[in-house]
Amino acid sequence: MHLFVQATIVGILFGGVYALIASGQAIIFGVTRTVNFAQAIFTILCAYLSYTLFTDFGIDPFLSILVLVPAMFAFGIGIYVLLLRRLSRSGAELGLLVLYGLGIGIQGVLDFVYKTNNRVITPGYANNSWTVAGYQIPEVRFFAFLLAVAVLGTLQLIRQRTKLGRALRATTQNPVASRLLGVDVERISAIGMGLGVAAAGAAGGVFGMILPFNGNTQYDLLSKLLSIAVLGGLLSMPGTIVAAVILGVVESVVAATISPDWSAFSFLVVLFAVLIIRPQGLFGRRLRGAL
Amino acid sequence: MVSNVARSGWAALACLAAALSLAACSTSATNSSAGSKTASGPPLVIGVSMSLSGDFATLANPALKGYKLWASTVNAKGGLLGRKVSLKIVDDASNPTQVVTNYENLITADRVNLVFGPFSSLLTVPAATIAKRFGYAFIEPSGGAPQVFALHLHNLFLAQPAPIVSSGDAFANYILSLPTAQRPRTAAYPSADDPFTQAIVGEIRQRLQAAGIKTVYSTTYAAETVDLSPVVTRLVAAKPDLLVSGTGGADAVAEVKGMVQAHFTPKFVFFTGGPNDPTFPAQVGPANAEGIFSTGDWFPQAKTAGNAAFEKAYVAKYGGTAARIDPAAAEAFACGQLLELVAQRYGKVDNATIISALHHGTWPTVEGNLSWNADGSPRGSDIVVQWVHGQLLPVYPTAQALTKPIAKPAWAG
Repeated sequence: MHLFVQATIVGILFGGVYALIASGQAIIFGVTRTVNFAQAIFTILCAYLSYTLFTDFGIDPFLSILVLVPAMFAFGIGIYVLLLRRLSRSGAELGLLVLYGLGIGIQGVLDFVYKTNNRVITPGYANNSWTVAGYQIPEVRFFAFLLAVAVLGTLQLIRQRTKLGRALRATTQNPVASRLLGVDVERISAIGMGLGVAAAGAAGGVFGMILPFNGNTQYDLLSKLLSIAVLGGLLSMPGTIVAAVILGVVESVVAATISPDWSAFSFLVVLFAVLIIRPQGLFGRRLRGAL
Repeated sequence: MVSNVARSGWAALACLAAALSLAACSTSATNSSAGSKTASGPPLVIGVSMSLSGDFATLANPALKGYKLWASTVNAKGGLLGRKVSLKIVDDASNPTQVVTNYENLITADRVNLVFGPFSSLLTVPAATIAKRFGYAFIEPSGGAPQVFALHLHNLFLAQPAPIVSSGDAFANYILSLPTAQRPRTAAYPSADDPFTQAIVGEIRQRLQAAGIKTVYSTTYAAETVDLSPVVTRLVAAKPDLLVSGTGGADAVAEVKGMVQAHFTPKFVFFTGGPNDPTFPAQVGPANAEGIFSTGDWFPQAKTAGNAAFEKAYVAKYGGTAARIDPAAAEAFACGQLLELVAQRYGKVDNATIISALHHGTWPTVEGNLSWNADGSPRGSDIVVQWVHGQLLPVYPTAQALTKPIAKPAWAG
């Protein structure tokens, strides 16, 4: 039982980081209808930038988020304006390919600059943990979880309580109708892309403190993001968050109590089971006219 | 239309010019070995296929440096048997198909005198087969996997003291050399799902179990796994005295971090890979690296043949410190040393002589005193190394040790 609870704690805490990254992907899909295959490398890019800010300038990774988030927001807008906007009439598939290619290109640059050795960010508190009722709570994972909750809460507030949020939701639901009602869909899409990439920026800063990473780490992360997107429903923020935590917990508990070999497979079993019962995902909705 | 045709023509010319420029650069790069002041006669051309690009490019770079360092060193001494050594290095892009093409071209088109091996077992297997077909000796630095020796090639010689799967034997010997009261009673054996690490860990486990050390946890995880917190959670719950972990690098760091966070310190910690990386202390925290064991084929302070000169030349040519030299550079350098020794002992370095000579006797190199079985597998044993007071030092066997093993201190946090 102790093992199960300990593994659940670890799974929930890291599930929060997955949720943060995946929520950005959900926002981007909402406004561009393109699955962002570069979301994982954006996270790794920010992990590297956070690494550089820490090792070369002594800036704490949590503080570096204050730099990374606005920078990645602007980067996201730039990607939309320079790449995706021009392709918006050519179908989402082309945008997907462009983002996939962009991801490979960024990895190439990172491999060239940082080489392919694994990196890990190790501030003085990186290995600290608290013991609570006999269970270990790693400090970095706990604060990363808090960060995820804060960022996701802010995103949810923006989406629900602001004019921008209403425009984002309207664009997500029906871009044509939104345009007819006077919403500047291209501007909103650019901002949505910026927010989505900024979420990766926030997560990347802490990702490098929790796990060793190099450019290739993007593929493992990307496979998890895609699984979360399918399980949670591509357009659903709550679904994405719940799916991310399920992924974290299932992987952690199965790996600790049964075998690491079965952890990824176990998540896929959960994924297939949900898709058989709810093909649109946990919180997804059937699209009108869907077969 | 005319404009398009003209543009196409210019484009074609530009492409041709670029291709010729690249070819010129390539030619000049391959013939850029250090010159000799006293060498006479035609140069001795040694062909090497190296992973200058692709997955192994970064890992192979130290081996490339080792080859080049040996060539410049031997040329500075007047060459080999009075002939300047010239390396012809071609890129295999880390690709097993390309490596075959490269060695075929080196041997049949370029007619190189000798060849050295590429980087990795993956590329050594097909490359060695080509060398065998043409009767070339195949001294190679890094192909130590069982698949290499399963070829039973009489022309192959791995320039390391032991095959990879035997690299844990020295650590098992060390544990079994301890008085019974000091030996661990329980052990855990997590390993990445990798043929090398699993074989090494399996070998150690078999021997320690036979000696009565109880296995309390054993598992494998996908080699690409970086989040090892579930493995560490289970490991901590099992509370082993000894951790023998089949790691490649990042997973060793993750396991240490996990154990530090869990405040659990085994009495003995051994990783197959990771601690040999000079950046390991920086990744886990310098104090946490203290007392961690691994094994290796080469270490900076080794009192092996020519090692001091090798380190001095390496630092002079590439900068840094001896402590930062990657063992792959020493392995490649040892390939060249073997040629020098054959030349000294036999007065010639043709392929038949090399093959015949290396199958007899012992050959002192920076990698130690090497000798081989008929299949090219080395007969020696790796060395147990341990992080002691901030240095990775050989601690066992005693004859090669620079210090005594220390007890694993508690994690520093």
